Amino acid sequence: MANGSTTSEDIARELLTFIARPASSEEAFNDLALSIFARQFALNLPFQRFCQLRGRTPRLVKSWRDIPTVPIDAFKEFTLSCVPAEECERVFMTSGTTRGDVKGKHHHPNLAVYDASMLSHFREHFMQGTARLPMGILFPNETLMPNSSLAHYLGLARQHFGTADSAYYLDENGLRIDALCEALQKAEQSNQPLALLGASYSFVHLMDELQARGLSFDLPKGSRTLDTGGFKGQSRDIPMEDFYAQLSAIFGIERRLCINMYGMTELSTQFYDAGNHSIPSVKRGPHWLRSRLLDPLTGQEVARGERGILAHTDLANFNSVTTILTEDVGIATEDGFVLLGRAQGTQAKGCSLAVEDFLKAARG
Amino acid sequence: MTSTAYNDGFHDPVFKAGYLPGLQDDEVRWKPMQLGTPNDALTVEFPELSNAQLKTLASRIRQASRAHLKSCSVSDIVQTIDTAIARLLNANDPYRQALERLLPRATGFDAAMVRLGLNSYLQTFRSLQLQRFVTEDFANPKILDEFQVRPKGGWGKAIGPDLLVHVWAGNVPALPMWSFVSGLLVKAGAIGKISSAEPIFASLFARLLVEVEPRWTDCFAVVWWQGGDDAVERCVFAEADVVLAYGGNAALRSMQDRMPATTRFLPHGHKLSFGMVSNAALSVMRGQAAARAAALDVARWDQQGCYSPHVFYVQRGGQMQPLEFAQHLASELAALTSKFARRTLTLEETASVASWREHHEFESLRQDAHRVLGDPSQAFTVVYADAPQTLMPGPLNRCVLVVALDLLQDVMPLIEPQRAYLQTVGLAAAPEELLALGDALGQAGVTRICALGAMTSPEAGWHHDGRFSLLDLVRMIDIDQSAELAAENLTSYEL
Repeated sequence: MANGSTTSEDIARELLTFIARPASSEEAFNDLALSIFARQFALNLPFQRFCQLRGRTPRLVKSWRDIPTVPIDAFKEFTLSCVPAEECERVFMTSGTTRGDVKGKHHHPNLAVYDASMLSHFREHFMQGTARLPMGILFPNETLMPNSSLAHYLGLARQHFGTADSAYYLDENGLRIDALCEALQKAEQSNQPLALLGASYSFVHLMDELQARGLSFDLPKGSRTLDTGGFKGQSRDIPMEDFYAQLSAIFGIERRLCINMYGMTELSTQFYDAGNHSIPSVKRGPHWLRSRLLDPLTGQEVARGERGILAHTDLANFNSVTTILTEDVGIATEDGFVLLGRAQGTQAKGCSLAVEDFLKAARG
Repeated sequence: MTSTAYNDGFHDPVFKAGYLPGLQDDEVRWKPMQLGTPNDALTVEFPELSNAQLKTLASRIRQASRAHLKSCSVSDIVQTIDTAIARLLNANDPYRQALERLLPRATGFDAAMVRLGLNSYLQTFRSLQLQRFVTEDFANPKILDEFQVRPKGGWGKAIGPDLLVHVWAGNVPALPMWSFVSGLLVKAGAIGKISSAEPIFASLFARLLVEVEPRWTDCFAVVWWQGGDDAVERCVFAEADVVLAYGGNAALRSMQDRMPATTRFLPHGHKLSFGMVSNAALSVMRGQAAARAAALDVARWDQQGCYSPHVFYVQRGGQMQPLEFAQHLASELAALTSKFARRTLTLEETASVASWREHHEFESLRQDAHRVLGDPSQAFTVVYADAPQTLMPGPLNRCVLVVALDLLQDVMPLIEPQRAYLQTVGLAAAPEELLALGDALGQAGVTRICALGAMTSPEAGWHHDGRFSLLDLVRMIDIDQSAELAAENLTSYEL
């Protein structure tokens, strides 16, 4: 069993082997999860104290399900890392939309595991047997956003699965709409399928712009989109159904190939659906990642078919914490989950209160 | 989901909300909604009136209130309300039984809490209390009935609006009664909009009132529209002389934007309340009682009221230390969960409680003295903070923060940022502290100070949010002394 003496390199090597397998048994997943947990407990002091507070120490935790779920806010409050923060190759930060300026930080001693996790799962669910595709990326590159896990993710996609003429169409000056239209027209004429990847809200901006110009495209068969992150606060908030209907209509892409990725700065692995021909789509993770739907107070799993808060155990999170409690509401399905949105504080009723009002007042 | 429209003895039929004089059920479009918990949902149908129907209703009420309400004396009105309240306090009365059956199902509140809460609430609306209520605002209540001599000379009369529009909230059952009764006492015709969270009380109360006093049949209506509906709100507010509304500041602002500049608007926005315990109350004997009273304030209506406490500031240096007070408060809250069960929380409410607890758990990892008391599986949380904490709202549903302070005066800077939102303070302090603290709290923006244990039961005639419940509704008509003197020169007989 791993403990404080296991190095990051040891654990990373073990994980790379684990990820490379086609699948894993419950037992193998459990063993590795408990071993990573024991190491994180030994080396990560804030996490250790959190586990003690919850009464869940390695001596008592016998199943990966018993590992304390760390609320994602903890990434804002504490340094969750087994190695000193300054020794980490990369720190990914949250965009900080939910709590003012405080950003959650995810420390990665090296990116080998993150990259292996991303590449393996992306190949299967997005590339689907195609080796490389020309990619249009609607997001700034990694140089512009060095702390964005999404920028790194898209960089990996381009480097490993994009053809030489793949390009970024979003930079500090905004969307390069003319260049993108040119690329879309070229793809339309070439019979070479194109992949468009980016934040969901960038697609909304792009579609608004194309509609304003009266443009639509009929991209070659096999073209696809990957969107991620939702729209809240960044663009028009549009219903899922309308979003994918528009996406499909404007680019001439079948909705089966309009794929949504669900990822978080606090994870090292992503989820994908198998297209958005029916909504809401089921999101699935790989064998080194398991998800549950919990009652956020008791930590108990909710009954099958009931709404719960998503908790993920991602073994690729070998340096921070394997098990996190999100703020997302979902429902479990046979082989994944359906995402229902954020657990917004309920609308304050009547004269009692609206937290937002008070927060505004307190900030002055 | 199926709903059956018959009463099989176990399930209520669909509840049709509202009270709509002059309109038959089949003339109205009804919108069904499920209230309560999924396991025991109550289907309520809400009336969706057209603008034309609302206008007709407004004019009908205006006329009827002139004819049948303005002609009643205040004493008659008090007697009628008293009769209705007596029926609601009678366990055998069908209206009372309907309230006891429907309110817990619609709101999810514990049935015993609803029963006892209703009693203590209804008590403040009996004849004696209502007379006090009127006298609080009008030293001479006859000024609502006829012209009275004014000390300055001349004559004066107070006239209620022909049409008062209420926009009610649904956070606490029966809350609409305060403004409903206030309107009646000044003889105002009224259209009240129920909240979709608690459509029961106002609907039944209106029906009961006209059963008691049939001449009031057309004097008021209880309606519903989707809050924020621009066209409907413009239409209704244009008909009103006065609009009295409860809600969030954003909703209140948008209502005001939909109102003619000449309409008087009486908004009651979100409020924040808290408690204070002086070490005078923290002897071994008294401390326990103070904790018990504080626990009741927290548990009643699961903290959903504007008067419900979010924080208790507790003074150090008594026999019982603030941490012990917090521990007693936790055990009292634990005891209360078996007497009054907490509502079943939605996933969102649970998440909000969980995230509040987590925030304080994180804090306790940084500061040993910071404590989270109560297991997450219990239906309450008490957090003890040893360091000063600015007053902030908690997640409701029996989550409360106990903050230790050396002096109660130290509270003032901590509540300062919330000045615009302050309402009730539950206070346990010695007599010599009472007025000094009252002064300081008043300056800080607090509008009501009461005993611990009484936070959720304002007295009849209280100044809600520091305002006058009746005076704010009326307008005065003055007959100046000059008119009287001039009239004296115009007698038909010669002097």
